[in-house]
Amino acid sequence: MVTRQDAERATRHRRHECVVFDWSTERAAEAAEVRGLITMLCDHGMDVAVASDAAADSVDAALQARPAGPGNLFLCAGSAVYRADPAGLRLLRQTEHPVPWLLGELSAHGLPAEAVLTIDRADPEPVAAILAEQLRRRADVPVPLPAPEWRVEADARDRRLTRVHESLLTIADGRLGTRGSPVAGDGTTAAEVVMAGVYEGDGEASQLAPLPLWGTLSHAEPKVLVWQTLDLRSGLLVDHGPVAAVRFSSLARPATVVLRASGSPDVLPGSGRQLLPGPATAALADRRDGPVLDRIGSYHTDPAIAAAALADAEEAGFDRLLREHRQAWARRWRHADVVIDGDRHLQQAVRFALFHIMASVGDDDEAAVGARGLSGPAYLGHVFWDSDVFVLPFLAATHPSAARAMLEYRIRRLPAARAAARSLGLDGARFPWESAVAGVDVTPGSVKLPTGDEAVIRTGDLEEHIVADVAWAAACYLDWTGDVAFAAGPGGELLADTARYWASRVRLDEQGRGHIEHVMGPDEYHQPVDDNAYTNVMARWNLRRAAEVPGVAQPERDHWLALADTIVDGYHPQTGRYEQFAGFFDLEPLIIAEPGVAPRRPIAAELLFGVARTARSQVVKQADVLMLHHLVPDETVPGSLEPNLDYYEPRTAHGSSLSPAVHASILARAGRFDDALHWLTVAARMDLDDLSGSTAGGLHLATMGGLWQALAFGFAGLQVRGDRLVVRPSLPPDWRALELNLRFRGAPVRLHLSPAGQVRVDSDSARVQPVGDHWEVVTR
Amino acid sequence: MRTVLAALDDTPAAVPVLASARTLATTLGARLVAMHVQTDGVDTPLDLAAAADVPLRIVRGDVVEQLIAGDHNPDVVATVIGARALRRDPRPLGTTAVAVATRTSKPMLVVPPEARLHPRFNRVLVPLEGSVVSSAAPQVLIELAPDVALDIVALHVLGRDTIPAFTDQPQHEQAAWTREFLARYCPWGLDLVHLETRVGHIDELVAEVASEYDCDMVVLGWLQDLTPGRASVVRATLARSTVPIFLIRLPAEPLAAEPDAAERDGAERDGAERGAAERGAAEPDAFPLDAAAPDVIASEGYVAADERSTRGATTEDAYRRAARETGEE
Repeated sequence: MVTRQDAERATRHRRHECVVFDWSTERAAEAAEVRGLITMLCDHGMDVAVASDAAADSVDAALQARPAGPGNLFLCAGSAVYRADPAGLRLLRQTEHPVPWLLGELSAHGLPAEAVLTIDRADPEPVAAILAEQLRRRADVPVPLPAPEWRVEADARDRRLTRVHESLLTIADGRLGTRGSPVAGDGTTAAEVVMAGVYEGDGEASQLAPLPLWGTLSHAEPKVLVWQTLDLRSGLLVDHGPVAAVRFSSLARPATVVLRASGSPDVLPGSGRQLLPGPATAALADRRDGPVLDRIGSYHTDPAIAAAALADAEEAGFDRLLREHRQAWARRWRHADVVIDGDRHLQQAVRFALFHIMASVGDDDEAAVGARGLSGPAYLGHVFWDSDVFVLPFLAATHPSAARAMLEYRIRRLPAARAAARSLGLDGARFPWESAVAGVDVTPGSVKLPTGDEAVIRTGDLEEHIVADVAWAAACYLDWTGDVAFAAGPGGELLADTARYWASRVRLDEQGRGHIEHVMGPDEYHQPVDDNAYTNVMARWNLRRAAEVPGVAQPERDHWLALADTIVDGYHPQTGRYEQFAGFFDLEPLIIAEPGVAPRRPIAAELLFGVARTARSQVVKQADVLMLHHLVPDETVPGSLEPNLDYYEPRTAHGSSLSPAVHASILARAGRFDDALHWLTVAARMDLDDLSGSTAGGLHLATMGGLWQALAFGFAGLQVRGDRLVVRPSLPPDWRALELNLRFRGAPVRLHLSPAGQVRVDSDSARVQPVGDHWEVVTR
Repeated sequence: MRTVLAALDDTPAAVPVLASARTLATTLGARLVAMHVQTDGVDTPLDLAAAADVPLRIVRGDVVEQLIAGDHNPDVVATVIGARALRRDPRPLGTTAVAVATRTSKPMLVVPPEARLHPRFNRVLVPLEGSVVSSAAPQVLIELAPDVALDIVALHVLGRDTIPAFTDQPQHEQAAWTREFLARYCPWGLDLVHLETRVGHIDELVAEVASEYDCDMVVLGWLQDLTPGRASVVRATLARSTVPIFLIRLPAEPLAAEPDAAERDGAERDGAERGAAERGAAEPDAFPLDAAAPDVIASEGYVAADERSTRGATTEDAYRRAARETGEE
């Protein structure tokens, strides 16, 4: 069946971003006209490629075109590709297949095949006429036509899901996030613009501040149904309907937003400028030309900076802004894309997830990454372990500067964390369970549960594992990057201060065994508990890892190492199981996976069984012991994954959206592909199918990060060991291949994995070799 | 003129019926007219109407048919009827109430005999099952709420099969889930109602939460089907509730998606027309509310307010007398 997109792709009577045409020097008569058109097209940001059998010199001499850009003129002549610009003719590549090579390069820079108009020499229409049409169409709304694996579509007719769609279609640039509300909304939608780190309110009421809107043109109800498309490859949000529009939040210029809309003049505003005050000022400039509106905007907490950024963006103009935005996304995808050969639906879901993580996290200064990123008001923009443990690893492995910015957020709040520890009579730094501007705990104190019961929220008091989680994130960044300066500086300081916290927190009993009492693990159904395996082992890991930090005095280092060895971890050698906390094995053995116990999983077990009974039972909310096998496998007893997986998974309700991806990862490592794929699918569809019923409030960024981890740490079996990247592929037989694009120790690495266990690396600066039962990637 | 029609019988149950009808009329900004179908005595309705200064129309004939005819008048926006005559009657609805409730084309306030009397409704409970259709039932009342200082407490009960998959951090998740639930299934109440959730059996919980929140009325959408196995919530709430239950007929077919305003109006119209067609020719003609109307079936006459006032009865008197006659006191 030919889809609408297929049909649109097929026609050349639409705006393209590049044109490739055959041209012969024999057509010199039209050279002047073609030259003029090429120059104007390039001036409007379009790339033009001239293919000819003739020598480059003769083609160049006939055309004499030297466009200044921003679009490029390429000559594919003979066996070479050149670029012609005011500096002259420059050789880019000698190749037997110049046009295919050029198309590949263009694709790698954000111009996929559907954006390229190719005209062969047999085309009856004069080249000049085609170029002239493309020149006219530069004023059109550019409509990308990505393949299904690269797009998310929302049918605006199903208005029950409007707010879910707004979350799914969020466009963000790491600093500014804009929900994907229809450009001609009707006022019932939940449009929102927020800026990372810009909060309002205090304490538990602190929340990401809503900023002036830019992407909604009219509150008039559109009478014609619309649908929307989010192009994941280039971060373009397109509205199709009575008001056609493309919007983007510039990845190349964070906090700069661009809109082009076409529609009835009575819906579109006229030309004008606005300076909209707010916690961050929005400077907007509208330029109206008939039925087409271009809006460019900039946001900043300093109005003068917003205005200056707007002036710069206006000078660049729509086409240049679009071009640099596409290229910025192409650069990001080049080192981050994951290709699953054999499952198109999963492929789309994975790209959807990676897109939103990349869009949600800035890569300079500091990055406060709330639980729902920049995509909605839920969770108030508060920062949880979600960001450190679930989101950060993908960025550490693909775009380290973004991971570094996330760590900078924690590092700048070390003073608050130290004060929190001191207030409890402890040393070091205690990071808060929920964090916002100041780095103090902003966890709400109570909630009325869906059962109608008022519950005191004790996560802020008890979920201390956040301290080790932040340390783990720093170590994860260090492992992937080898950032020596970070290790010797703020990263080392963070690791040391978190270790000092545990050193003062552990209580030694009369037998010299270390205990951490009165805590809550990731399994929040049980609280408070003593000697939670996850907390204890993460603390142990934290102490050991900090002992490697340069600059720590030897006595303190020795103390940490000795203390780490004392900490009980609940491991039972007879069974190979870790006891989740002291007394867990004595609880009611309620196996939630058994038939008839629960109507399904995932399920919020505390609502099914009641808070009290759940707490008395062995029902687990999410991976707790198994989280150790996921995060710090070297801290667990070899061979203990399977017995703990057998024991804990059937007891797990998966009542946290963090649970499915972690289990998918572990199950993949255990080679249990049916179950692994089941939970992988749950994680992948979390927001696309609104499995929580709360996607309208924003996207589950941690689940998205967990999805990548399941693929990278689970199915690919990646694990950094020193300066080597260990690879242990464990792919389901239905997949033909898994490809991961990464940056390891500064080297771009493209890993190809096969179900047969073969590993191949495409990299100029890394190589892979089999070592025993696994493979290792090392940089050159 | 928008009218609330109070169906008064000759028992003490007529007292809370008339009081609740007055309160409903005040809330809806409608006039109140009382009606009595005479089968034997008329003292109670006469005394009550007189004491309350409410116009009373008395007709003869089949009680159910006459009450149905009464609410067919286009001015009638709601009828009010007693759930049952006797407090000790174990049935949630008496025979007459069942017959009228399942056939009336108008929203119907069913008043239990033990209902407390309120001069105005302060707080109303609106159970929502999680569909746009069901929350259309209380839409008018919800939209009216700010103007009449009415608190609307919505209730959604999660059952074993509808418990959410995830609670994540309940201190945030619950607010996000709640807001989306209202936005999706009760958009007209998004900023007007307070949503309570409970886990368990809705049959038991509606009356319980109504009591917990000291609600003066419960609004339930239903399909007017009281055959065995149907309308369990209505049945259970009628049996347990001590406050009036406002029954509002729902469209028979669930809507696939939230309609826009025009579609919604169309759906309601279609539903009404479909309902009328289903009821067919057996339905009596609309009962006129005005004395001058030509098709009055039978009447002792339109009792003018000044006439009634001469009888000197009060609501309390009427209640006592009626109670003596029925042995309730």
